[in-house]
Amino acid sequence: MKQILIDPITRLEGHGKIHLFVNDDGSLANAYFQVPELRGFEKFCVGRPVEEMCRITTRICGVCPDAHHMAAAKAADAVYGVTIPSAARKLRELMYNAFYAGDHTTHFYALGGPDFVCGPDAPPAERNILGVIAKVGIDAGKKVIAQRARGQRVIEIIGGKKVHPVTSLPGGMSKRITKEEQQEMIKIGEEMVEFAKFTIKVLNDVVLANKAYVDLILSDTFAHKTYNMGLVDANKKVNFYDGMVRVTGPDGSEHAKYAPKDYLSYVAEHVEPYSYLKYPFLKKVGWKGFVDGKDSGVYKASPLSRLNVSDGMTTPQAQAEYERFYETLTGDRSGKTPVHATLATHWARVVELVFACEATLMQAKDEEITSDHILDPPTGIVGEGVGIVEAPRGTLTHHYKTDNNGIITEANLIVGTTNNNAAISMSIKKAAEGLIKKGQEITDGILNRIEMAFRAYDPCFGCATHSLPGQMPMELIVHDAEGGDIIQTRRRN
Amino acid sequence: MRPLLVLCLGNEVLSDDAFGFRVAGMLGEMEYELGKEVEVIYASLAGFNLLNLLEGRKKVLIVDTIITGSAEPGTMHFFPMGKLIPSRNLTGSHEISLPTALKLAQLMEIETPEDIDVLAVEAQDVQTLSEEMTEPVKAALPEAIAYVKGWTIIGNQEISSDGYGEKKSASS
Repeated sequence: MKQILIDPITRLEGHGKIHLFVNDDGSLANAYFQVPELRGFEKFCVGRPVEEMCRITTRICGVCPDAHHMAAAKAADAVYGVTIPSAARKLRELMYNAFYAGDHTTHFYALGGPDFVCGPDAPPAERNILGVIAKVGIDAGKKVIAQRARGQRVIEIIGGKKVHPVTSLPGGMSKRITKEEQQEMIKIGEEMVEFAKFTIKVLNDVVLANKAYVDLILSDTFAHKTYNMGLVDANKKVNFYDGMVRVTGPDGSEHAKYAPKDYLSYVAEHVEPYSYLKYPFLKKVGWKGFVDGKDSGVYKASPLSRLNVSDGMTTPQAQAEYERFYETLTGDRSGKTPVHATLATHWARVVELVFACEATLMQAKDEEITSDHILDPPTGIVGEGVGIVEAPRGTLTHHYKTDNNGIITEANLIVGTTNNNAAISMSIKKAAEGLIKKGQEITDGILNRIEMAFRAYDPCFGCATHSLPGQMPMELIVHDAEGGDIIQTRRRN
Repeated sequence: MRPLLVLCLGNEVLSDDAFGFRVAGMLGEMEYELGKEVEVIYASLAGFNLLNLLEGRKKVLIVDTIITGSAEPGTMHFFPMGKLIPSRNLTGSHEISLPTALKLAQLMEIETPEDIDVLAVEAQDVQTLSEEMTEPVKAALPEAIAYVKGWTIIGNQEISSDGYGEKKSASS
């Protein structure tokens, strides 16, 4: 069997493997992406009080602790059957939008941006945030650092701590907000909106003004016509914190719209014998393998998916960007026609960034957030609850079962990246097809193409290991499709 | 702002990755021994997020875990990072490596320490969710504490000899 290992892949957390299975004639039989998962999570949860999950789950993923904090809090609310006070919900949502405003900033400028700002063919040593700053200027770099600090400050004010919030608990929030803190958040919101406008300009000048990049975004190499999944509010507008899960087909028609508690009726997980990774798929369509189309249950959950399943954004500038996005890519500004180009995910992320910044300002101005009524302590228990939020990388599901004392007996998580496992494998395969030739050495150029295919998904390995001074290894493994023998491995520093 | 920082990194629920957390706990109990110029911080952060902790410090020792694969679990590694050319790669799907972050700080004219040393224990398991470290890594704790103490003694001497302590109020 032929096996190539890429080691390491830049801009990915933890360590993963890309496996390519190659036929005797040199064609690609299969490709999949294998990420290390934190082992023993369910076991680790069992026997712990459910209210502890809001704090512990921020530790299971160093990348988006805030998303886990929120999903865990909502699942715990459901376990106790409590509806949190309106002010508490507003605080959570404000904190979450501010988190998004920082998180999407990092991705656009530090992780996804380099492929475009520096160019997809630039050597890896230049394709990073330092390369971005060399191109767009020191001043832009300072803006990015300041924007990240703004997001963190809001999390600190509402969540009690920078990065790892601790204030959500079953029934609401544990920390009130003062008038002074509200004023500070309003100022932060105003600065965020300015930053969003600046980012639109960077996107226009650096990416969209370059026809080669637009062609690359729209090229078939990076397209998959799959189902899409994302949360929507009552008006089918994008909402990161709460709503119904909406799934639309490759043609944009609605496949399903369901409440988080019903997720198991719609999503199942496929297991491949060669991988411990699970591949979620749409139950009612069925698993038909790693293929596109209406008859295949493969779906995507990403910034692009959220735009595809929604009818728009609830803030003015973001709505204008949403319309421009669809007008440019499909010719239909209503968004009824979905975009399937994987690389357009980067642009979709900017539309969401604009929304997150505007929403932060809008919600910071809400008088109710300084209310004293932020907690309705639980009085009974249901014993089971599901919490779903949109993590930056896709729909995040926490599902807990407890005994009558709120002690966890069972836990299940479907994390953002996991939703996209099948699609990521398909993107890798598509990018690798035609590039992988029997007996030919795998070059850096080939690896870059493959990397770009999955970097759009911003895959995150729930793995909080630190690596110094470089990064954890990533391997590309080429297997012989017949016998499984390793033909080639590739490691890169 | 104390000029000497011992920055312990890790994750207290991820087996050996709790090493930094345990070291910080032990150092916290002997704070008076380390001197008033030393601050100990435990953080479950990386890259970018560390910049604001490093800003304005004179010397920093990072305590962390590492898997080089070329040493027995529990082996202590010392990296004088001040001597390293910043890695230009990004570590996380959502973070940039510390050397890249430092290079960035330099570009942004953010004042970061000239000397950042790293003390890292060779870990055996940083993937299993557990509040227990493996035996060889647990056994390395006293050596790490002794090392940190030595580092702070030298750091304190350097600070008093270059008069930094007197200038501290102006720069902090």
